[in-house]
Amino acid sequence: MRVFVQRAAMLILKLLPLGLAYGILQVGLRFAGDEDLARRLQARDARAMADLYDRYGRMAYSLILRVVRDSATAEDLTQETFLRVWNRVQSFDAAKGALGAWVLAVARNRAIDHVRSTTGRMQAGAIGFDTLDNPKYFSVSGTDALSIDRVRRLKSAFEKLTPQQRQVIEMAYYEGLSQSEMAEKLRQPLGTVKTWTRSALQILRNELAGVAIA
Amino acid sequence: MTCQELSELFELYALGALEAEERAEIEAHLARGCETCAAALANALTVNTGILSLADDYPPPKHLKRRVLHAIGARDQGWGWGWVWALGGAVALAVAVWLGVQERQRTAELADARQTLLQVSGERDRLTAALQFLSDPQTVPASFGKGQTAPPRGYVFLHPQMGVLLIASNLPPAGEGKTYEMWVIPKGGAPRPAGLFQAEGTRAVHILNGPLDPATIGMVAVTIEPAAGSATPTMPILIAAPVGT
Ligand SMILES: [Zn+2]
Repeated sequence: MRVFVQRAAMLILKLLPLGLAYGILQVGLRFAGDEDLARRLQARDARAMADLYDRYGRMAYSLILRVVRDSATAEDLTQETFLRVWNRVQSFDAAKGALGAWVLAVARNRAIDHVRSTTGRMQAGAIGFDTLDNPKYFSVSGTDALSIDRVRRLKSAFEKLTPQQRQVIEMAYYEGLSQSEMAEKLRQPLGTVKTWTRSALQILRNELAGVAIA
Repeated sequence: MTCQELSELFELYALGALEAEERAEIEAHLARGCETCAAALANALTVNTGILSLADDYPPPKHLKRRVLHAIGARDQGWGWGWVWALGGAVALAVAVWLGVQERQRTAELADARQTLLQVSGERDRLTAALQFLSDPQTVPASFGKGQTAPPRGYVFLHPQMGVLLIASNLPPAGEGKTYEMWVIPKGGAPRPAGLFQAEGTRAVHILNGPLDPATIGMVAVTIEPAAGSATPTMPILIAAPVGT
């Protein structure tokens, strides 16, 4: 009896935290505890880094993998992402900032920078992506919690976009192309690309705001 | 451009996807402190985060966390803060499963142990340690306080490498300048001090780290002592949990 009970306990211990942790991971991009987490990172609490990774590691890795399409590179860049956050967290406003938004932006920009540097596609005058994830940008109040429900609705809205709308969104978010670069690549007038992008963003923005799309 | 026109560009602005002139115009406008646009920018960051989170979900390899922590000179200490409640629940569940819930009348006690863990779960390290205790087959459990009228109640767990875990509830106040002290009493031997601890309300979780042989331990006890602790227990004994009976 004792052995059985112990086995059962161990099994439950193995399964339960995993399931719950995954739930926690997926529930929101901005946790109630993010402010506290940011402060602990600023206090150089190494355990806070483990917590940060538990919250955002999977999302950052998935995003980077989407951009670079290679798992070994995605690992390297995920490590760089968290190191970068660790090194720059002092400029982050813990009270107002959106930690998850910042981590994902760092991840995205590291990945796009990497792709750009390896393909040599770094045109003159292009904005350095490393300036885009300055923590100060993410220290604005009003960035919102994203529940799993909202993200789900966003995903279904994204899937309803026209192919052209989806394409320009993917180019902007995962390839880091400017609108004129997209126009060139798609052989479309800049005005057309701008229209696609604007309408796509309008739909996604409204979906997140909970506004019915007319 | 008007604020309305500008605000439609903030997502692209934050992505670095605008041309230099548009970017410059936005930066100049934001620098003037337009509150409408500041709010719209915050919203754009939310939109961007949402869209970036739509990337197909792939679990990273397990070793990646160690790598990340290694990069900042830390090591993986196991559980993240976000797990605390999950951990508390897991520990409570383990307590329940462990004890087998053989008799109905135990339910109240188990609820009590569970409450205790949740109440004092503020310290992840203790919870993690408690979980380790409860998940290891070498752990030897004991309970105390049953059958008395209003006694401290709870459980003691002993482990050959990890030491002693005490979960107690219904503790009387230690009083001003006093503290609780745990004692490990070997069979036929004198009580050995096993650490000072405080209660949170009437509940406490205390761990004594270090190897011991549960088979040689006769009892785990708790007394109230002066704040600096004592070398020998002061009567009366608050908790007496016989081990290995
Ligand atoms: Zn404005």
